[in-house]
Amino acid sequence: MSYLIGHFDKCTGCSICQLACSERTHGGFNPRFGNLDIRMSDDALVHHPFVCHQCENAFCEKVCPASAISRDGESGALVVDREVCVGCGTCADACPINMIRVVGKKAYKCDLCGGEPECVAVCPAGAIELIVKTVNAEVMP
Amino acid sequence: MTSYMGKFLIIDLSRQEASAAVLNPGIQKLLIGGKGVGAKILYDLVPEGCDPLGDENVLVFMTGPLTGTQAPAMRGCVIAKSPLTGTFADSYYGGHFSPEIKYAGYDGIVIRGRASSPVYVWIDDDKVEFRSASHLWGKDTFATNWLIKNELVDKSIKVACIGPGGENLVRFALVSCEYNRQAGRGGMGAVMGSKNLKAIAVRGNHIVRVKDSDTFRKAVHKAYSEMNENTTGAFTLEGTAGSIPFANEIGLLPSRNYYDGTFDKAESIGPEAQRKKLWYRDLACAGCPIRCSKMGKIRSGKFAGTISDAVEYELLGLLGSNLEISDIRAITHLASRCDALGLDGMSAGGVIGFAMEAFEKGLIRPSDADGKELRFGSVEAADYLIDAIAFRKGELGRTLGEGVRQAAGKFGGEAEGFAVHIKGLEYPAWGPRGVPGMALALATADRGGCHQRGFPILAEIEGEWNGKTIEQLGLKHKGEMVAHMQNYLAALDTLVKCDFAQYGIQEDTYREMLAAATGTEFSFEELLALGDRIWNMVKCFNVREGFERKDDTLPRRFMEEPLPSGPCKGHRITGEDLKTLLDDYYRARGWDSDGKPLPETLERLDLVEERVLFKE
Repeated sequence: MSYLIGHFDKCTGCSICQLACSERTHGGFNPRFGNLDIRMSDDALVHHPFVCHQCENAFCEKVCPASAISRDGESGALVVDREVCVGCGTCADACPINMIRVVGKKAYKCDLCGGEPECVAVCPAGAIELIVKTVNAEVMP
Repeated sequence: MTSYMGKFLIIDLSRQEASAAVLNPGIQKLLIGGKGVGAKILYDLVPEGCDPLGDENVLVFMTGPLTGTQAPAMRGCVIAKSPLTGTFADSYYGGHFSPEIKYAGYDGIVIRGRASSPVYVWIDDDKVEFRSASHLWGKDTFATNWLIKNELVDKSIKVACIGPGGENLVRFALVSCEYNRQAGRGGMGAVMGSKNLKAIAVRGNHIVRVKDSDTFRKAVHKAYSEMNENTTGAFTLEGTAGSIPFANEIGLLPSRNYYDGTFDKAESIGPEAQRKKLWYRDLACAGCPIRCSKMGKIRSGKFAGTISDAVEYELLGLLGSNLEISDIRAITHLASRCDALGLDGMSAGGVIGFAMEAFEKGLIRPSDADGKELRFGSVEAADYLIDAIAFRKGELGRTLGEGVRQAAGKFGGEAEGFAVHIKGLEYPAWGPRGVPGMALALATADRGGCHQRGFPILAEIEGEWNGKTIEQLGLKHKGEMVAHMQNYLAALDTLVKCDFAQYGIQEDTYREMLAAATGTEFSFEELLALGDRIWNMVKCFNVREGFERKDDTLPRRFMEEPLPSGPCKGHRITGEDLKTLLDDYYRARGWDSDGKPLPETLERLDLVEERVLFKE
């Protein structure tokens, strides 16, 4: 089980992560098309990277009418099977932190790049970190 | 498929109409992007001798061919005829506004005419809306940004706007570009204000693609490693604030309206002071790994609670040492006020320094300034003047809002002797008396007293350039060196590069990124020729506006008064020095002795043929 976390103390707001993700996912550049987001707050005192939590109780997976979202056994990411996806956007609506984009009638979300996330590799400030969990201590007493 | 978007947005504010136009491919090939294409647009569309604050002036927001891609540190520029200098002016800004223009599908936005009442323009890809800005008029730049985002119900929209300074036609008003990155120099905000244009809001849903992704990615990563290996690491650590101890040590840090070149309290305005009293974390512009800016909040004292980005070198010099203000929290407050009210902090610092000297010399009395004592070192006086200028309060605020040159003309007499500007543009925080090459670069900069068109100081201090020995105080090779530096930077300004990133990224890497993104290949010689062509294109605009040799000069202070302290104590740039420097420089440029391009020079640079600008 792996997921990303974003560190607001290190994020510089440069969007290189979004640009790289957009290129990897869609073959070109626009941060809006990256599968992660940077939000500015407190008069720009803070830039906060928002990344998919790869939730254990994933709303996106739960609501998909076509069952197109499932967990990848290897990376632990929730991935969209775009052969099956009908582009209805129900998953995007269900995600409270807006981590799903519908582009050209297909849903796109963070797939952890199969286990080696590009955003982690390109971030110049180390503001995105890949957490690999071996024991789920919090939910399994 | 290239990283150009293939069209421009033409906005006519008088008719409230917007249309798309395609740039003549021949012009794009010849001039590439930001500075070059912007200069051509201005040359063709702005009538000779027009009032910069009249509706005939044209305001252009240019991107570069690599803006919006992952190529590091590509910015945007605002171009118009300057109300401060009457020259061509190009004002560069970082942040996130310029990429958004590309994402909306445009290589640039050309704004003509004048709205009959305040408006803002809302560009949502192909949809362009003219919306009333009467409720925003009078609001500062920060409030305007957030009010527009709230109104359009999307925080991801990118905004460029003016503050009260631009509305009130202060000739050095800035354009505040998403988020709080300033197109500061030359009064682009006043041009926007004269057009009754409060803001431009953009949302783009296009993807910027490059010609050859794999080669492009390699070139980008090469640029990243060059930035890591070269001097950009110092910018990462402390931004340009790190230049304070350096400039003070070599005697170029202005104090008391450039009377001197050293400041005894330099340490208190250096990077350590900001780190201790302001900074929380690093801040970067779009796509830039350097992160030269910092964000922070003042923790204590009168200005506690102020959230601000790092005060960079120019403002530390001009709102700090030049005014003899040494409390970093106060300087942060003053810089932040300039940003909020939409004044170029550099020009504002120059104007305030001038006013303080005028006060001490009795040319301004307390009764002219609501009873205020406008003395050097007074934060209250500087604060008062920023407000008076932005809101054009009283006779003094109205006069100073015209800039140093016009204010000196009005005060008359000895005021001309301490009016520090070139062609009307207030001077940067690099006193030139110990560095004649820098003096030449400033005297010949296309938009007036600007240090960003060529910065020979480092070569003059290091004593070497292009394999030639350079003497710091000597004149030899300096004409040729300045022309070369201006050409190189003009070529990079047409890519709309960042000044700091170019200390790291090597010229071949810029060429590789451009080739991979657009298919346009250049040799290094061709890149320099491109810069030469653009420099001459701009010069043609300025010559048409009546600029000649006598305008390529220095403030009297630097020619008549020797430096009182520092390692270059006793030095000044004499009339004879300037004559030699200009003669060498004009010769290197292929210009006549009056500083005008010779016909064969324009021929060589392919600037003679008539070319239609846009295909509608």
